[in-house]
Amino acid sequence: MSDINGVGLGLRHRHFKEFIVDKPDVPWLEIHTENFINQGSTSAKYLAEICQNYPISAHCVGLSLGTASNASLTRLQHIHDIKATIDWLKPSLVSDHLSWSASDEGHYLPDLLPIPYTEEALNIVAQNINQVQEVLRRQILIENPSSYLSYVNSPIPEWEFLSALVKKTGCGLLLDINNVHVSAHNHGFDALNYLGNIPKKSVQEIHLAGYSIDVIEGVDMLIDTHGHRVYDDVWLLYEKAIEHFGAIPTLIEWDTDVPELAVLLDEKRKAEAIITKVTKKR
Amino acid sequence: MTALAELQRNFISDCLSENINSKKPLLAKDIDISLISASGLMGIYRSSAIANIIYAMKLTYPVIEKLVGEDFFRASCKKFILSHCPKSANMDDYGQEFGSFLANFEPAKQLTYLKSVAQLEWYYHLSSLDDDSKPVDWSLLSSIDALHVKLLLAPSVKLITSPFPVNNIWQMNQSNAYENKPIDISLEQETLLIIFRSGLSTKIMTVTAGEFALLLSFSKQYYLNDAIEIATAKDNTISIDDTLKKFIELNIISGFENG
Repeated sequence: MSDINGVGLGLRHRHFKEFIVDKPDVPWLEIHTENFINQGSTSAKYLAEICQNYPISAHCVGLSLGTASNASLTRLQHIHDIKATIDWLKPSLVSDHLSWSASDEGHYLPDLLPIPYTEEALNIVAQNINQVQEVLRRQILIENPSSYLSYVNSPIPEWEFLSALVKKTGCGLLLDINNVHVSAHNHGFDALNYLGNIPKKSVQEIHLAGYSIDVIEGVDMLIDTHGHRVYDDVWLLYEKAIEHFGAIPTLIEWDTDVPELAVLLDEKRKAEAIITKVTKKR
Repeated sequence: MTALAELQRNFISDCLSENINSKKPLLAKDIDISLISASGLMGIYRSSAIANIIYAMKLTYPVIEKLVGEDFFRASCKKFILSHCPKSANMDDYGQEFGSFLANFEPAKQLTYLKSVAQLEWYYHLSSLDDDSKPVDWSLLSSIDALHVKLLLAPSVKLITSPFPVNNIWQMNQSNAYENKPIDISLEQETLLIIFRSGLSTKIMTVTAGEFALLLSFSKQYYLNDAIEIATAKDNTISIDDTLKKFIELNIISGFENG
């Protein structure tokens, strides 16, 4: 049974010392795995100490599950680096994104780039997920992406694509509520319909974060910046998600302009209040 | 090549194109442009990816950023990135060639010390990531024939030479620097430094010519006697016993082997 329960926080450098010295009451923490690949680094030493007191979830950003070739040397090396990191970290959950970062030629852009949802892509992504789960010897969770463009040839709805991946590979899902809201706004689909079509039992973690609004050629686009408090519309969608999926372990995610810990703890309390409210209603 | 592979190659090519605003993106035919142009949409991902790489470079080269200013740093990083696409998901591996790039970058060419400062920062960065050395039983050294002894440097040790006082430049630009006096970069004296990890800190230490020659010989896996000969030829006043003791106590020399 997993020790990842309740509302956790993303662990960031600026809060390392607080988690070592003060040990705030947070049930679990999530790290960006790629930041700790070098086990001898100062960061890794701090994390090793923090791990002794907190269950850890390892959230990857570079497995590039959507890369067209699973034989790319760049990607293979990275999978093995992640395995070595997972082996010493022993996290309770491991996740990455429904996206790609590396081309088959081994060029890499550190961002979560969009996949066209075609049958060809479905088979490629499923193959990549199977490859990663085989090397890591464990199930991984796949996070739904935030999306800013649609491909002309992308006939499969994202929720169907994710459901098919769960069926084909046995992976789990990490449901990012902010990303559902951002993508729904940018592409004009119904966020509640999206949630309703995600296989319930596959969701093992939820992410909550803030977005920003950019005006691109006169059009308001929501951008998943992870640099702000969770907005009210996302809290509302989160409440619907908890009603539908149950009290799934939830992470407050904040990656840019990271504030003091008290702000994150406040967001944590808001999430806990929603879980309590929904649980009482049942 | 699959359709997905071609799309992904074009995507990256568009993101790293110098002419993304003036030239039609390769991906224009593949994306829905009913509300926003292909350039506009690709621009979102390009900006985000480049910003992420620049963030990694800020962490590696904070002194370079201070020396040239935030805006110039960002612009030169962007120029660097467009011709040096990352090849790894581990951003700690990225940016080694930045110093050489700055040396040939026309707007920065007159700042001749930048390459040296960048090299120091790169080695500092690597040193911070390296493993600690394993504990050693030095009493076993006496069991090895003196002619076959090789001394080993700790994994985090980096040796650097510069025609500029880069250690002073680096120190002056740390957040805890309390002195703010001008540095004369015209001094024609070679700076010899070692960078190494001590616990959770990474340190920079100036060394003499003899000490540098000794450590360089160890890094090249010379026998101890040969290394001593090279060091004393460089500086006949060096006390080998005191030097070895100092570097062993600092864990710069961290082991030995029977060569």
